[in-house]
Amino acid sequence: MALPALLILALVIGYPMVAAVIVSLSHYSLLSPVHTFAGGANYSQLVHDPVFWQSLKNTAVYTGVSVVAGLVLGLLLALALERAAGPWRAIRALLLTPWAVPVIVVAFLFQFMFTTPGGIINAALLKAGLIHSALPWLTSPALAMVTVIIANVWTQLPFFLLVFTAALGGVPDEVIEAARVDRAGTWSMVFGIKLPYLRSAAVVGALLMIIQNFNNFPLIWAMTQGGPAYATSTLVIYVYQLAFTSFKLGYASAIGVVWLVLLLVIASLFIRVMRSDRA
Amino acid sequence: MKKLAAACLALTALAAGGCGSSGSASGKTVVTFANWAAAEPATAPGIAAMIKKFEALHPKIDIKSEPISFTDIEHQLVLEVQSGNPPDVAELQGNYLYTLAATQDLQPLGGYGSGAFSKSVIGSELKLGELGGQLDAIPWTVGPIGLWYNKAVMKQAGLKPAPPATWDQLLSDAKAIHKKLPKVIVLGMDTTSREFALDAAWPVMTSFGAVPFSGTTSTADTPAMQSYLSFMRTLAKDGYTPEGQKTGFFRQPAASNQVAFTVDGPYVKGVAQSINHVSDQKFYQTWGVARLPTGSAGQHYSTPTDHQLVMFKNSANKTAAWQFMQFLATSQYSVLNYTLKYENSIPPLASPPAEVAKELDNPITKSFVKSIIPEVIKPAWGAHYSAAYLDVMAGIQKAMTSSEPISSVASGMQTSLKSDLGS
Repeated sequence: MALPALLILALVIGYPMVAAVIVSLSHYSLLSPVHTFAGGANYSQLVHDPVFWQSLKNTAVYTGVSVVAGLVLGLLLALALERAAGPWRAIRALLLTPWAVPVIVVAFLFQFMFTTPGGIINAALLKAGLIHSALPWLTSPALAMVTVIIANVWTQLPFFLLVFTAALGGVPDEVIEAARVDRAGTWSMVFGIKLPYLRSAAVVGALLMIIQNFNNFPLIWAMTQGGPAYATSTLVIYVYQLAFTSFKLGYASAIGVVWLVLLLVIASLFIRVMRSDRA
Repeated sequence: MKKLAAACLALTALAAGGCGSSGSASGKTVVTFANWAAAEPATAPGIAAMIKKFEALHPKIDIKSEPISFTDIEHQLVLEVQSGNPPDVAELQGNYLYTLAATQDLQPLGGYGSGAFSKSVIGSELKLGELGGQLDAIPWTVGPIGLWYNKAVMKQAGLKPAPPATWDQLLSDAKAIHKKLPKVIVLGMDTTSREFALDAAWPVMTSFGAVPFSGTTSTADTPAMQSYLSFMRTLAKDGYTPEGQKTGFFRQPAASNQVAFTVDGPYVKGVAQSINHVSDQKFYQTWGVARLPTGSAGQHYSTPTDHQLVMFKNSANKTAAWQFMQFLATSQYSVLNYTLKYENSIPPLASPPAEVAKELDNPITKSFVKSIIPEVIKPAWGAHYSAAYLDVMAGIQKAMTSSEPISSVASGMQTSLKSDLGS
């Protein structure tokens, strides 16, 4: 019964994975019809490649900050809107709309907002007296990462809002009632009663978003193309540049294999946490 | 059973339609032409008109234009070659020719490009399409990099409307312009992570005596390179040049007189006029173009941004493809109605006919032909250029956007280049 599904998985997932590993062991340039076996040369190059390590660090920062910020903000909004009634329910619907906007549109939208000169963010901050001169949001190595993270959190917030809203709906009413009878305050209600019920949802949501952010290409590419000076270059950006602008498919595949292993390790850690929760 | 038969018939029809792109249903020869001219608003109408004219002159040939953006065409063509379905003809520029030549899928054009054709084209332009003694590309339009200067903006800033001769003089003009007109972009320069950005930066670097690499040898960590990087840092920190913008970004504000200087090819005129619809005379009153200023090397330099045409070996319609290439490059109709009218580039004609010569008799073209083209040098184009350009542009961006010591930036550039060039 499972055979057709396994065959499709083997074709769609298994074959590209195996092919990537094979290509990663070759000197494979898209410009040359001749490809030779390289053994571990691509992996050795990777160890000494400063751009790889910077991209890895950028991936960790981008993913970590985006997921934590999205999770915390999504949770706060879900808690705040838990008892929304009547016209206030419309706020929840409004907060979900960023998810419906295509990522490429979000990228250009935030690029226009943060661009210097002429962006609305600088104009607003200057008018409010919070800054004295326009900030180079997209062209400063420090601020460029902040900018892409802000755009990313904006797109992902609705996902966490939905996840936590659904999870809050699963908190048993008796438990809430019992807590009220015991005169539990707001903080006790949230931290002592509701959060433990939200743990599984948080773990699953975080894992999904970590995987998505590891692979998030269009947002960063459209906003900064991984610049300035590799400041926002994540692994997926670097792999794209290696494969399709430098045409080094073998080396790009080696990085892709490392990336896959990293994601597998992260996923297995999360699955362990989920299993221990169930136990 | 009937449904299965219908599905098989549909699949067969689809397969038949997908195969054999060399001929259309009406028995005409179809020539596919990958180009960015059709992807850009300023030139799309022009190339559509060219194709229509060619098809009218050659009723048995249909041209199928494949618009691909300038930034994407290089890797798109490499992928098409690797997957066995390249177009018949493609438009290329700069190092793109060397990248495609490395795939060994370009049709040598020596047999086509000899005799009358080679005599009709400027010799040095034809040479640009020669790799290893073999003609792989023919010139379509000629467009070296120059320094465009806005006379109106310079006058408003209290400056004499003349191009600066040195980069130091440009910095002095920049200070005056920025003080008087803070919203005007003083200098437009491509500092993106694109291959073309390095093409445009190359003559500027060379004017400082800096050469980042040559073949597989990286030579970035030099006092000359540090001098160039310091200049770029000054441009950014003093607010003269917005970082990370491509050449095309400055053409629109240039049309609205919001740019004082820009480093660009002849295309500024065509794009500006497509936006502001000013007459040629009005444009010449506002804009001039000159050689790029000199640096410490004391010499002017420029780089070709010429558009070239290539044919692929896989083409099943080489004769028709060559006819189309010739039409685009050297026919009077194409030169008058596309090269001059839409691109505002210079045609590669050795002896332009009277009607064309009349159109070339304007201050902008004369400046390009007499002052700028003689200063053209080729960057270190080749198979390694596509591996190295990112490192150089990342170094330039780092110099412009960070406070890292310039010596460290140059040394970092050297290290990255050594790694990517395998030296």
